[in-house]
This record gives sequence, C-alpha cells and structure tokens, in this order.
Amino acid sequence: MKTSPLDLAHELEKEGYLIGEEAATTLFLALALEKPCLIEGPAGVGKTQLALALARAEKRRLIRLQCYEGLDISKALYDWNYAKQLLRLQLAKTEDWDEIKFDLYSEEFLLSRPLLEAILSPEPVLLLIDELDKSDEEFESFLLELLAEQQVSIPELGTLTSKTKPIVILTSNNSRDFSDALRRRCIHIYLTYPSLEREISILSSHAPELSRGLSKDVCEFVAKIRKLPLQKLPSVSETIDFARALNALQKAELNYGDLMGTLSVLLKYPKDVAKLEERLKKWETEALRS
Amino acid sequence: METMDGWVFIRLVHALRQVSLPISSQDILDAQTCLVRYPDIPCKQILKSLLIHRPQDAGIFETVWKIAVENAESPEMNDSLDATYKKNIEENRDSQGIGGQGAGRGSGGISLTAIGDILDHCHISKLIPFSRLEELASSGAEYEEVVKTVLADIDYYTWINSFDLAYQRGTLSEDEWYTHQNNRAFILREIQQQVVMIQVKLENSWKPLVQQHWLFKALSSLSEEEKELVKTSIRKWARKLALRPGSRWKSYNKGTIDIGRIVQQSVQWEGVLFHLCYRRKVPRAPELVVLCDVSNSMASFVEFLIHLVTCLRARFRKIRVFFFIDSVWDVSEFVWDDDLSGVKQEIKSWGHKASSGFSDYGAVFKELAENILREVSSRAILIILGDGKNNYRPAQPEYFAQISEKVRKVFWLNPLEVMEWSEPDNVMKVYQNNCSKVYRCRTASDLQRIVKDVF
Repeated sequence: MKTSPLDLAHELEKEGYLIGEEAATTLFLALALEKPCLIEGPAGVGKTQLALALARAEKRRLIRLQCYEGLDISKALYDWNYAKQLLRLQLAKTEDWDEIKFDLYSEEFLLSRPLLEAILSPEPVLLLIDELDKSDEEFESFLLELLAEQQVSIPELGTLTSKTKPIVILTSNNSRDFSDALRRRCIHIYLTYPSLEREISILSSHAPELSRGLSKDVCEFVAKIRKLPLQKLPSVSETIDFARALNALQKAELNYGDLMGTLSVLLKYPKDVAKLEERLKKWETEALRS
Repeated sequence: METMDGWVFIRLVHALRQVSLPISSQDILDAQTCLVRYPDIPCKQILKSLLIHRPQDAGIFETVWKIAVENAESPEMNDSLDATYKKNIEENRDSQGIGGQGAGRGSGGISLTAIGDILDHCHISKLIPFSRLEELASSGAEYEEVVKTVLADIDYYTWINSFDLAYQRGTLSEDEWYTHQNNRAFILREIQQQVVMIQVKLENSWKPLVQQHWLFKALSSLSEEEKELVKTSIRKWARKLALRPGSRWKSYNKGTIDIGRIVQQSVQWEGVLFHLCYRRKVPRAPELVVLCDVSNSMASFVEFLIHLVTCLRARFRKIRVFFFIDSVWDVSEFVWDDDLSGVKQEIKSWGHKASSGFSDYGAVFKELAENILREVSSRAILIILGDGKNNYRPAQPEYFAQISEKVRKVFWLNPLEVMEWSEPDNVMKVYQNNCSKVYRCRTASDLQRIVKDVF
C-alpha cells in the first residue's frame, strides 16, 4: 500500500511511467478508497500504459478486457461449456435427471471470462476494462454492479463476490459519453498530452540511446504539431518512434527541411502529412529568418 | 498542512449542486474520509478528484471554488485589487501596442496594448478594478454585454486586432501566434469568471453561474468545447428516442416474420428452411420537412438543428431540408455529413450569389407554397427554425396558411426571447396562429424539451 501520491508516482516511475502530480493524487485516492478509476483522454496519452505500470507497481496480475461494439456477457463475464455439458449427459444416461440437472450448472462447467476471472481470483489482480466507450450502453449498465459492489450475478449460481478486491481501471477515448450512474461509481482522471519537460523525460527513459539535443528537438517539434488542426495528433508512442527513426537515420538534430519521408512515422493520415509538409516550409523560413 | 472549515465545505457542496454538478452522499462521505485521512494533500486537490466526474466540469469547479472558498477566506482581497488598479493606471498612460495600434488612452487606465503578449497570469485579475466590475454588473446589463464592456475597457479588441494584423503581415512567428492565442483565451476566461463572480455576489444567488452552464447558455455563444457537449447530448437524446417504448406488446427488434419470403427462399434449398426473413420496418412518421433561416444571426442555431435532424434520420421515411434567406434552396443532400462542413460551405456560396442577406419570410412561404408544397406529403411534419425578423417586408400570411393546411403539423422554433417576438419588424405574431406549436429554441435545454415534445 502506497502512503502518499508522491510515493505512488515514484513506484510508477520505477516501472517506466511518469505521472503528473494531479493524476497521481487522484489515482492514489482511488486506490485508497478502493474505487474503480475511469481514465479518459485522447488516444495515445498513456491511459492503458498507466494501468499496466500500476499492475507492475502493485505486483498484481493484470486481467484485461478489451471492449468492442457487440461485446456481451458471454464474452466478458461467463459462458457455459456446452460441449462438456453434452459429454456429461451422454456419460450419465442411467442417472437421475434432477441430479444431472444440478450438476450441469455447477462451476465445473462454467467458462470464466475476464470479469469473472477477476472476481474469483484467489490472488489480488488488476482488472483493466480497456476502451469502454467502444462497447454498447447495455454492457455499461451491466458493469454497474461489478463497479459498485465488486460482485456479479449469475442466474444459475447466484451472486459471486470478489475475495481479494481487484483494482479496477476503465479507459475511454471519449468516442461516446457515459451515463451518470457509471461516472458516479468511479474516480475520474483526465489525461492529456504531457508537457514538454515530461515528454522529454519520457523519451529519455524509453529511448536512452538518443542524444539530449535530439530528444529536446523532437519533443518541441511534436508539441508544435499538436497545436495544428489535424485529424489525429501524434501520441507519445509515436513521438518515441519518430525520435528512434531519426536516430536510425543518424540525425543528431532536427531540421525542418530534412524530414520528408519520416513524417509518416508521426502522422497516420496522408491529409495530415500533407498539411504538416506545407507548414514545415513556413517554419523553415521562420527558422532561417531568426 | 491545511484543514477545511466544515461550513465552507457545506457551502461548496451546495454551490456545486446548484450549478448542476451531481454530488452524491457517497461522494461527500469519500471526500470527508480523505480530508481526515490525508491532511497533507491539499483540500482542493482532494475535492476536485472526488467531486468532479466529467472533465468539462473542472472549469465550473474552479469558479465555484474561487467564490465559495477563496473569497470566503480573503474577502479583503477586493480592496487591494482596487489599490493595485489605481497604481497601474499611473504606469500605463499613453501606451502603444504591437501593431502600432492602441496608442494612448485619453482617460488613462490599464491597456492590454501596453503589456504586449508578456502577460503575468497571476495579475490578470488586477487589470479591472472591483469597483468598475461592480458598477457594470449592477447596471442591469446582460452578462455578455458586461463582458464586452470590460474587454473594451482594457483595450482587448485593439490588442487582438494588432496581433491579427502582425500575424497576417508575417511579423509574428507561429510560436508567438500560438502564445498569443493562449493568452487571449486565458484573458477571456478570466474576465468571464470575474463577471460571474461579481454577479453571484450582487444577486446573492448561484443563478448567474447556472446560466453559464452549457445547457442554459444561448446556443450562439457556446465555445467549441461546449458545442461538442451539446452535440453529444443531442446524440444521447436521439438514442433515447429510438428506444422509446411504443406499444404494449414488444415486438422483436428485427421486425415481424415474413412467411411468404421464407417459403420463397426455401425453394432454393428444396424446401428446407435455412433463413428467417423479416418484414422491413416502416418508420411511423413518413416525412419531415425542415426549413431553416440561415441569415447571419441564425447560423449557429441551424448547426444544432441540422445535427439533431441527422441523428433522427432513421425515424423518418423521408427528410427534406431547405435553407432560406429571401428565397429557398434545397440542401437535403448536403446535411448528412458529420462535421457539417458541406452545409456551411453551401450556406456561404449560395448565400452570396443568390440572396440579399436579409430575411423575407413572405417571399419564402410564397415560393414554398407555389413550387414545393405539391411534392410534400399531407402527413408531413414541418419544422421552421427562424427568428421571424422580416425586415419590414410583407408577411403574406395567406401562403403560410396554405402550407399549414396541407401538412399534418407545423412547429416553429424561435431563438429569440418571447418578448422579442412582438417587436415591430417581427412577424411571429402573424404566423403563430397557423402553427401547431411555437417554441423558444435558444439553449440546449430548450432543444431538449423540443426533442421530447416534437419527435
């Protein structure tokens, strides 16, 4: 158990994740109150990475549920092993039906999906429900019981309550808004792109082979790009890839006129690349003038 | 280490609830637990972490915190602000800004043009004296008016113009331009916050702050972020409508079974039934006709109505959208784009080449009745979005009456306040009797009511 937000931030730093003071405090309070934590923010700011680093820092096994449109209880919570149930029926032709019926819906025939696995786990785990905004509203409502009471209800078995209180982290890219009921049950963190200083530190820790000058140049360049009206802004992982690409091309510093061909590492839409290339010419002229 | 006064805590929670933030009893319990258990963590950080559940509520929390907590702790601050202001007046006489504009201020006073873009964010609040704000706020002027006057007082408009000019001339680098944009947004936010704070103090009620909630703000004065919130909410309301229970017996989502088609298809597999076929669902309301005034004053409202219609597309068999100023044009094929850029472009290009720019409702209804009405179903619903300002042109009510008789229902949405409907150049009073219902459609909250009533 961490004793302060600073302590938590240090632990996360050891696991390679640099967290801001405000986010660290909120996360610390969520852990202290044993409440689920909903992390929102644009794609690529490190929401999932924060959950992964937290699992390592807390020495908990990570159970991950990736959400998508159409995700339902049979894929998220549990399903019955029909093949095994059929085999059981074939082997027990002579037995009493009432006995078999009871037996068929026992834990032996239950297939645990991520949510049930987290509830039944004997050792402490971290449950990551990733990109919840991609799932349907019905699934969101279904999660309320799990988030509030740390329990799930299976009609054939009854209510199963968690033995070891999993840490629950939910992430969302804001593609749709959540209900007040879900929000009320969670502590909320909004992550944005890191500040210039923090991004330089992240880059240095993930790619120590880079020179200090190149790291600074790349981060300043990316910060500048994030102010442009692009379809998709570069994420932190794309910054790292871009810096590594420049390093692989033996560049010691970043020159605006020397970036053609490398921009696709940073931006994923041709329209965005074209927009940036146009800007680069302007920036180059400005740099020459100054 | 700091502690929080219990009375201030209650005041804060009450204020947050007043401004529509959902604070549950569990939130309060959690906050109390953490305040007691972690005295080393600043109170503000604890409360912000535990009471704010949406990123967009962070701004309003800051304002409420300033009013309910910081002002409660240091009420004498306002006097010191006045003193600083007087001192700054002396220092800022005859100032000149970046683009050569803003030279000198006859009356003296603090001018942004003198400061340039090197702003000390901690001292922005000292730009305007408390007494001046109090004087403006108590004059009975609307919030937007007070903000505009305050901005004019500090030469904000000259200041932003000089930077716009410098950027256009190329004497300002892009970095400097972005810094300026940030400063501009910061000053605006700060002034708005101060005006709200004064209004709250003068009225001794949280109402002025509630009115700044995106749900109750005029749709025309929303920021980009707030516009997104309204659009998200519209999508939510539309989804709820799609799920509204209609009949007592719930039918299967896919519709009813079509036995004829099942038998027909089974012939392919020698009579074996492989697929179940369902009858196609026919929307209950057959046709929606939307008529939007797109003259300058109406543009921001049109955007939201079109977004709403886009979200409700599935509920109608046919939707036709017309824009008008002094004549009508059909834009049905442009409005289904999510970012609405097609629509905006269409308004711009068409508005320039085929319109005088001044609304003429009489001419529009005449054109509609003579040329378009015969193609419209008698079961159609007509929605008109317009302020009714006819620029003293003839109303020609007979054509509107003709339209009203032909269609099933006519709803008129007007973004003006009800008392403005009876102004001399407004024709609402002429048309109102031929409408099934007339709504004020000024804020997102109005729009929400209309969604429930009309669709």
